[in-house]
Amino acid sequence: MIEWFRNFFSSRFWALCQKEINQITSNRQLLIILIFPPTIQLLVYGFALNPDVHNIRLGIVDYARTYESRELVTSLTSNRIFIAQEYLDREADLAAQVRDGKITIGLVIPPDFPRNLDQGKTTEIQAFIDGVDANTAGIASGYLGQMVSQFNRQLLGVSGKLLIDTQTVFLYNPGLRSSWFFVPGVLGVVLTLISSLVSSVTVVREKDTGTLEQLLMTPASSGEILLAKIVPLFVLLLGDAILALSIGRVVFGVPIRGSFGLFLILSGMYLFVGISIGIMLATLCRTQQQVVLTSFFINLPLIQLSGAIAPVESMPTFFRYVSVLNPLRHYIAITRGILLKGVGLEILWPHAIALAIFALVLLGISINRFQAQVR
Amino acid sequence: MQKVLALCRKELTQFQRDRLTLALAFLLPMMTLIILGSAIRLEAKGIPITIQDLDISPLSRSYIERIFATNQLVAVSKSTDDPEQAIAQGLAKAAIIIPPDFASVIQSGKSIPVQILVDATDTNNARIIQNIVRATTRSFLQDAGIQSITERIKARIRVWFNPGRREALYIVPGLYGLILWVYPSLLSAIAMVREKEQATILQIYASSLSATELLLGKGLAYLIIAISEAVFVMICGALIWGLGIAGDPTTLLIGTLCFIVDAVVFGLLIGVRTTNQNAAVQAVALIGFLTALLLSGFIYPLSNIPFPLSFVSNIIPARYYIEISRDAYVRGSGWLGIWQAMLMLIILGLGLFNAARLSLKKMQLPN
Repeated sequence: MIEWFRNFFSSRFWALCQKEINQITSNRQLLIILIFPPTIQLLVYGFALNPDVHNIRLGIVDYARTYESRELVTSLTSNRIFIAQEYLDREADLAAQVRDGKITIGLVIPPDFPRNLDQGKTTEIQAFIDGVDANTAGIASGYLGQMVSQFNRQLLGVSGKLLIDTQTVFLYNPGLRSSWFFVPGVLGVVLTLISSLVSSVTVVREKDTGTLEQLLMTPASSGEILLAKIVPLFVLLLGDAILALSIGRVVFGVPIRGSFGLFLILSGMYLFVGISIGIMLATLCRTQQQVVLTSFFINLPLIQLSGAIAPVESMPTFFRYVSVLNPLRHYIAITRGILLKGVGLEILWPHAIALAIFALVLLGISINRFQAQVR
Repeated sequence: MQKVLALCRKELTQFQRDRLTLALAFLLPMMTLIILGSAIRLEAKGIPITIQDLDISPLSRSYIERIFATNQLVAVSKSTDDPEQAIAQGLAKAAIIIPPDFASVIQSGKSIPVQILVDATDTNNARIIQNIVRATTRSFLQDAGIQSITERIKARIRVWFNPGRREALYIVPGLYGLILWVYPSLLSAIAMVREKEQATILQIYASSLSATELLLGKGLAYLIIAISEAVFVMICGALIWGLGIAGDPTTLLIGTLCFIVDAVVFGLLIGVRTTNQNAAVQAVALIGFLTALLLSGFIYPLSNIPFPLSFVSNIIPARYYIEISRDAYVRGSGWLGIWQAMLMLIILGLGLFNAARLSLKKMQLPN
């Protein structure tokens, strides 16, 4: 064992590794790239993306002005989903306010509201919802319907319970904290961006400055050179994955319900995918600028079809099938599975196998291309 | 003025010669439009759910039928005995568990709890599922005559501007804001920083051209390119999703013009502040793309952004443009609703131009 270590540390491979490590640690810019963009992206995505439906601005024209009509408004605004922004006198003003986007929902309580209630007849109240934000409008109209029917039952003195009393249990994320959805997704996005960028830059720089030829003159084989580049980067990027996860844990309180070891292993596998994409880019491009532009071209569909922001299930069928060919999609399914659902390989195996295939194929292609190019 | 026009012509000639950049200038925006415009959908359709019916009575069966009649929920293909397992595997997004004494308790006029397990990893769709099930249950009770509450108050809800709640109508006009921010600024940033990288800027410093003239000339050239990008992208959007302008088209015209001026000037500023093309592209991608995507209200409402970030979002031009574009394409309220946003676009544009002019002046030797 000791013998093996001694051999290892005096090997050519270790020398190359040391060279890479020295280069990385002396490159301040690289270290900054590894730390700041992931942190900022995680924080901004986690805080800024929030599908909560609350504080929807309600404009009210109350022609009735009775106890019951005020009661209705109070019950609508009691749980922070709607807030009474403005009381107006005329329906036309209300419509104008909705048109100008000042309020999201306009509510009209008709003058015959109290009379009809007294006579036991049905009264119609009108609500118009600004449908520009289709998603919020849908959820808001659902809530509005529920609250009005709740109020109905209160009026009738029914115990308030429906005969079928649906009790919703939100699994995995009972507080419906949206950051728990976005953080595992953005973690995958960040790792993709960083790993492909860093690996392509380290290879291209060597090509740019012409030191690659010098390396190739040495007895080291091209495979050794590449491997010595990959291994230190891999360790650093794994550190990045842990950094990102800790931010998710500490800042957003994202749980780690599954096995941390499995997370590390599969993240490592995914990093190979990212690194291979980077090396492939480097073999395709001659200058750093081309690398950056082409990576823009590749990363955009990779990220958008991964389910990091908009869930895969909501995509049109065609894109849902295309996304099966996206390694990031599988990695995000894995991180959400491990962190939120707390499941293991028994459920995640299809994604893990897909990831392994992607890692092997992409790594194979990129090493091949690299060797073909330097020969 | 003549100097500005001459510089502008030179820039356009240079741009035309670079075939790769020329292709990317139109290909990238179109690709972004198609992918983001079709793939970003927030509301799931055909959500797979599983129902565990422990009662197996005519009543429970008609309840189940009713739930699937909404077309928004579909039964999972593979049925499992353990609903929680089906959700963990991702086969189902929700499970409804009907208890064994379902029919008998309801027929005796008492209320029975029915448990609904919802996969809340995707919080937005979790809410949507909850709403669908609740609304369906209510109408089931009503229609089946089990618990017909005489609705004393009926809410007549109408969704204005977008009655079918087509999500493309929300996403695509917002997407214009993202695309017309990122790509024009990317091009002008590269053009500016290239002068510095190739040291041709020294020749400009030595010439009689002032900082303002340099910025105006370059800006004008890239503004012309950006205008053609904008027209191209909007025609693509109109053809693919059939988006038509809802109201006064002048707001969109002038708003778009102001916005791409802002974008081009922002690119110039980045070009002035960075030292090489790599850094410039990174800066546009990180600052420009991230802010226009996340702090502009493109995906979720602006009011949901918490304090320190909400403050930052006030100086993001994309936020104001998205307001203008959504208004023009969907709401159509015209100048009255959006003049403030327009004003902010102009103010931010002037601010950006001044920042670029000042930092360029610092590099130039005083006359």
